Amino acid sequence: MSRADGLRTWLLQRVSAIYLALFLVYVLVHFWLNPNPDYEAWRVWVASPVVSIAGAGFVLALLIHGWVGLRDVTLDYIHHLGLRLMVLTLTAVLLIGCGFWAVRILIVTST
Amino acid sequence: MTTRRSAPVYLNLFRISFPVGAVASIAHRISGVLLFLSFPLLVYLLDLSLQDLRGFNQATALLQSDWFRLGSTLVAWSLFHHLFSGIRFLLIDIGAGVGLRQARTTAWLVNIAGAAAALLYLGWML
Repeated sequence: MSRADGLRTWLLQRVSAIYLALFLVYVLVHFWLNPNPDYEAWRVWVASPVVSIAGAGFVLALLIHGWVGLRDVTLDYIHHLGLRLMVLTLTAVLLIGCGFWAVRILIVTST
Repeated sequence: MTTRRSAPVYLNLFRISFPVGAVASIAHRISGVLLFLSFPLLVYLLDLSLQDLRGFNQATALLQSDWFRLGSTLVAWSLFHHLFSGIRFLLIDIGAGVGLRQARTTAWLVNIAGAAAALLYLGWML
């Protein structure tokens, strides 16, 4: 890995962190102010443009952030090459799979 | 000529004491991995809750089950600790709170705040 790659990864991790934190605080405050929504209110809230579009951005930021974080942890603690490759592959599959699933939910709910 | 000395080995976990910053740091990693592992379950709950009224009721029933209350408290701790210690790391990146004393104080703060938020969450769930 080149130094430029390392710097780009470092930056991506921090930019995605800020986005995740902001959206998360927004969601937490929303649930604080509107606890225990019924089905209709919950659906309408998720389908609203701000939540569904910013939510898709959240999923993207989560995939980037999760990948960089899990990759760092895996490289630090798992030294056996085959096992490392397996863990990284499973990580990527789980992140991408759940990411597509989450975005699909947002699209289906808002159409 | 120097002779090779073997490094002292302390494997007694009760005799190793980690500096508070190391605890905040390793907890950041552990909470990150826990959040990653809970990702599929959270997406499943989101999916179930938005399918139809029946799914929504199933999801809220799941949220109120005992095992979920316990498990989700662990996820809540992970979320809050990861958020608080993440903000601390970002501040350290821009040069705020880098001094040893300040860094130790803020490490204590985030460790306690994460645990406190998890307890508040548990109290709110019960």
